[in-house]
Amino acid sequence: MSLTPSWNKILCGMALAFASGCSDTDSSFVYSDRTLSLMPEAQDGIKGETPIAGVKALIDERFGDPQNLKAWMKLPVDFGGANTTVAKIAKSAEGTPALTLAGEDGSELPAKAVFVEFLSGACEGEIAEITEWDAETGVAVLSDSLTGKLAEGDLCSIDRAQVLKSGRGLYMRHCSHCHGTSGDGQGPTAEYLNPRPRDYRHGVFKFTSTNDMSKVSRDDLKRILKYGIPGTYMPSFLLLEEGELHAIVEYVRFLSLRGEYERKLVNEVSGDYSITALESRVGQSESRESIVAELKEFLSADLAEAANSIGDDLAEQWGGADTDEARIIPSVPRVEDSVESRRRGRELYLSKTLNCADCHGMDGAGNGPQTIAFEKNPITNDLYNEPGLHDVWDNLNQPRNLHTGIYRGGRRPIDLFCRIHAGIKGSRMPSFKNTPHEDIWHLVNYILSLPYESEPGATGTEAAAPAAAEVAQ
Amino acid sequence: MATVTPSLGAHGHADDHAHGHGHHEQSFLSKYVFSTDHKVIGIQFLVTTLLMLMVGGALALAVRWQLAFPWGSMPIVGKLFGLFQGEGGQISPEFYTMLFTMHASVMIFLVIIPVLAGAFGNFLIPLQIGADDMAFPILNMLSYWFMWPAIFCFGISFVAGGATAGPANGWTSYPLLSDLAQASPSSGAAQTWWLFGLTLVGVSSMMGSVNYMTTIINMRAPGMTLFRMPLTIWSMFITAILQSFALPVLTAAGFMLVFDRLGSLLPTDIHSVFFIPAGIVVNNAAPTVGGGQPLLWQHLFWFYSHPAVYIMLLPAMGMVSDMLACMCRKPVFGYKPMVYSMAAIAGLGFIVWGHHMFTSGMNPALGMTFMTSTMMIALPSAIKVFNWIGTIWDGNLRFNAVFLNCAGFVAMFVVGGLSGIFMAAVPVDIYFHDTYFIVAHFHYVLFGATLFGVFAAIQFWFPKMFGRLMNDSVQKWHFALTFIGFNGTFFPMHLLGIAGMPRRYADPYLHGYLEHLLPMNQFMTISAILMGFAQFLLLGNFAYSFFYGAKAGRNPWGANGLEWSAPSPPGHGNFDEPPVCYRGPYEYSSPEAEALGQDFILQTTPTPPGVKKSDAHGH
Amino acid sequence: MKKFWALFFIFWPIVALYVCFVAPSRGWWFPSEPMSTLGHQIDGLFYLILFIVTLTFIGTQIAMGYVLWKGATKTPGAKAMFSHGSHKLEIIWTIVPSFILVFISLTQLEVLANIRVISNFPEEARNAPIAEVTARQFEWRIRYPKPGTTLATEPQPGDLYFVNELHVPTNQLVMINLRTQDVQHAFFSPQLRVKQDAVPGLVIPVWFEVEKAGTYDLVCAELCGWGHYKMKARIVAESTREVQQYIADLENAQNEDGVADDTSDDSE
Repeated sequence: MSLTPSWNKILCGMALAFASGCSDTDSSFVYSDRTLSLMPEAQDGIKGETPIAGVKALIDERFGDPQNLKAWMKLPVDFGGANTTVAKIAKSAEGTPALTLAGEDGSELPAKAVFVEFLSGACEGEIAEITEWDAETGVAVLSDSLTGKLAEGDLCSIDRAQVLKSGRGLYMRHCSHCHGTSGDGQGPTAEYLNPRPRDYRHGVFKFTSTNDMSKVSRDDLKRILKYGIPGTYMPSFLLLEEGELHAIVEYVRFLSLRGEYERKLVNEVSGDYSITALESRVGQSESRESIVAELKEFLSADLAEAANSIGDDLAEQWGGADTDEARIIPSVPRVEDSVESRRRGRELYLSKTLNCADCHGMDGAGNGPQTIAFEKNPITNDLYNEPGLHDVWDNLNQPRNLHTGIYRGGRRPIDLFCRIHAGIKGSRMPSFKNTPHEDIWHLVNYILSLPYESEPGATGTEAAAPAAAEVAQ
Repeated sequence: MATVTPSLGAHGHADDHAHGHGHHEQSFLSKYVFSTDHKVIGIQFLVTTLLMLMVGGALALAVRWQLAFPWGSMPIVGKLFGLFQGEGGQISPEFYTMLFTMHASVMIFLVIIPVLAGAFGNFLIPLQIGADDMAFPILNMLSYWFMWPAIFCFGISFVAGGATAGPANGWTSYPLLSDLAQASPSSGAAQTWWLFGLTLVGVSSMMGSVNYMTTIINMRAPGMTLFRMPLTIWSMFITAILQSFALPVLTAAGFMLVFDRLGSLLPTDIHSVFFIPAGIVVNNAAPTVGGGQPLLWQHLFWFYSHPAVYIMLLPAMGMVSDMLACMCRKPVFGYKPMVYSMAAIAGLGFIVWGHHMFTSGMNPALGMTFMTSTMMIALPSAIKVFNWIGTIWDGNLRFNAVFLNCAGFVAMFVVGGLSGIFMAAVPVDIYFHDTYFIVAHFHYVLFGATLFGVFAAIQFWFPKMFGRLMNDSVQKWHFALTFIGFNGTFFPMHLLGIAGMPRRYADPYLHGYLEHLLPMNQFMTISAILMGFAQFLLLGNFAYSFFYGAKAGRNPWGANGLEWSAPSPPGHGNFDEPPVCYRGPYEYSSPEAEALGQDFILQTTPTPPGVKKSDAHGH
Repeated sequence: MKKFWALFFIFWPIVALYVCFVAPSRGWWFPSEPMSTLGHQIDGLFYLILFIVTLTFIGTQIAMGYVLWKGATKTPGAKAMFSHGSHKLEIIWTIVPSFILVFISLTQLEVLANIRVISNFPEEARNAPIAEVTARQFEWRIRYPKPGTTLATEPQPGDLYFVNELHVPTNQLVMINLRTQDVQHAFFSPQLRVKQDAVPGLVIPVWFEVEKAGTYDLVCAELCGWGHYKMKARIVAESTREVQQYIADLENAQNEDGVADDTSDDSE
């Protein structure tokens, strides 16, 4: 603003002389360790006259790399851009195509347009740059002629994946140094944080307003972005604009889907074709050639099919998270907070059926017997090195001390209700969805009173004071 | 300049007529490495600090890169070392924090303090007062060799916490950030190593200071009265006093912090709580217990570090006074006011530390006291500036690079001094505290003033160190490029400060009110790169002239000081015969000198017969 | 060449002054007019010092330029002036600056007292802090007292919480209690010209009066770790009625049970 744009450009140009990039970084997605534990042919595919794609290629084909994100139509992600059809084909003064585009179902066209991507017809998959754009008439002059022959009625999309692209820019600026370029929770800052930043690739998010079996909703993600997660290093991004928040949410969904897709795809392959499986099979005197031949068969037929159905499943699950069916709505309003209600809550808390004290401790200090027991890793069946409860990311994840007044998933009664109803996904906090909603409310009342009184009705006791001193929120 | 003759071991080469006292053959190791000769030690300090200057400069350029191209791919660091490969060369915020922390630490503790007191103090003190060496030569050697463990500790701290992190709490290392290992987990053991490094630098400085004081008090040549000492010596003397009184406080504070951080070194929970209040939870660690007070560190730290600012400035002031007088062929204007003002700066320097803490929440009554004392410290600084201008006034100016750097020193010091007034005023400082205004201010003082003074001093005393002259044209280019680059980098920082840009931000443009400052920061970064690369001229010239520079006689500049009566380079024991001092060091263009048909008269030259002695010190 | 170097030293202060002169029109100046009463006083003092400093700067640079130019144009071989200084000049340039410096000091005292001395704080603000602002790595946590009560030092049932956004009434002296949960931070609002460190273990009162409704930046101005730059928040100044409404809305949102109305999801 203070310097003229041209001056700015010169500066940028000078900077380019020193480095490869001015603002964009040339980052890359990494594959998960499990992908890398497959035998090389399964990872990279089998070369030959008709090359067969491996797991990596299947992922890349659908998700691209950070510089070139793919907008795989199947995913329930808002990629941005406007879908249009070709209404008229003409030539511009320079001889390049001048297309008249019509918005899908007569919808309005965007004010700005940079490129157009053809989704059907002879030009399918081609991307062309728009040099002149008139949003009123929908006339787009392309910079170059197309290789295929266009027909009227061909589907095309203007500036597809723009939301994702801007989401990626914002993500690289605000999020990636903790959550990692690939959303694996292994950015450079991650190792210093307690708790560690979320690894999206399981497709699991802890604090949701959706049922225990449902994915996280867009609203949940946005809420976490806006208000942060108290008691952790996830800060509040309240002051980002609504559009920016949306773009980040979509990009996080994209990364989660990529990770989960990769995970499930590898699950199909790893049983028979991981490096360890290969070793044991070779040990059982199978020849490597025969295994590769079998893999070839598997990759070209079974896996391609599996890949499709995985995509469909993911689309259904993630798409379903935003629906009303997925959302937790208490059947009764919150029970009025009273000493009686809290006492009832305390009874439930100690009851055999709910058994909250087993983890959270008799007085809610997060020191129940489970916190000192050694747990088994459910995947490897080995005991963890340290005692206590672990989450699906293999991090020690001890039950909350309920006296601190810090509620990571939010302090509204509905937030606590959801924590109890759906559990905390990925952690050992189970779902209590079969508990009557009224009882959940009693529990909520009891839990909300804990920072201030050690026992229902015992307001202002000495015991509560030290805990209050460390209240964060 | 035309006499380019190869030299046999130009430096430390024993001159034919040196040493009145028992000379014996020395091994290479004891002559050039573990030498007790103050000149060798001085040169060792100089070379070491120039090396560290490049390290600190590289760190600064990395900081500037991030500010100009936030989260862009950082050259060299990002890719070459593979540190941030997965991020496409985009650095992490804790890495940025480490960069500016280490930039400041290296520049302050390994460049500016040792180059002034260590390099020039060592080299010049015995030569200028006519002594054959320091009072405690072995202590002197140790003061250099304690620098290396310090450099080692700072070096370790780069990697102790992993390659992408290091001490990241600012050079001021305020607790609790620097205190609780969990508050700045990327620092980890690195911060403790950093503290050890700091302490070792202190040990080194302390050894030097004791030595300087003793030498200056006890070993002056006959006739070298206190008020015949060059201002360089006065400044070194005052600096040594400052060091020796202020340093113990920092050392104590450093150890307190180390004890608070024991947990980061040993597998134990036992540690002290000097600076840790109770009930603090960071990074979900257990709440702290204890009754410490974080402000205590700030008081102790600034009790040293404010005087340290003058430790980083006074010697340059002294040397510039010497060089200006020589290059203007005029006595220093107001010699005694210069001495008194240096003493006043040092004295007041002890009672102004609180101006670093105006927003810290200390008692406002203290704030008022500190404000007044801080304002008053501007007075001696102003007197010095006026006297320098007076020295240039109507002199016979030699526009060589020595003079230009000295004039640059004065001009930049004026800016640095004036910007200080804003921050001395508490209400105005409330706005400017921890913004780029302060960054501009201290770079104008520490770089604009001190380093320009050092550049001049390197060239001025180079012939005395190595018997050869540095190429003046290259030095002029170096000066011009550095001066332009310097002002292009740091002058706009004043405006950034007024615009409210806080310092130590990895990405200021996150904040809407700072977004429009990006182009200005890009301009500053380009300037900084220019300035950074200009330093290769200095290094190249230094190395070239060491081997191929024009041979210099004893007194290439026609200067008066005792050191110019010694051979270039002086042999072991410095002088041909113990010198006798007949007058002050600044009697340029005096009647005495004219009687000899020249515009200078060495302090060792007796008054020519029939000339009235002009050693006037009334002023 | 001598003249070139003399001009070099004459030229740069001109550039510097020019840059400062055009800075306000280029946006290289204060982010806005001061929006608080104390801000006006601070800016007044700033411009006073700026005036004095600019005059001094021009004076010294002219003197410097003059002596350099004189030196550069001196006939070669001429004798340098032989002088050890001048008593008179030394006395003048000791006394005059000291008066100026003492004058600057004295002008600051009253404003300083207004900002920091607690007994100078207006009674009504002192007795009723409107909120507690707790800095933590790396956000600002705000706690308002339950409507109808006064702010207690420790959290109370019914207190209202928010993050990174502080609502204050305009044209009224407001006091907040500033504290930190972890390391040292600093509460800095550039438009309001307010800055105060949050020191671990202390509760520090900060007061200001916002003159105009609007949204102002709140940032951290003391290194607090890797995310120092991330502590982006805002102060929303609005009429007392709007603040009350905001608090009422906040109370509703905080008691949200997901049943009563399911549209106010994002109003917290």
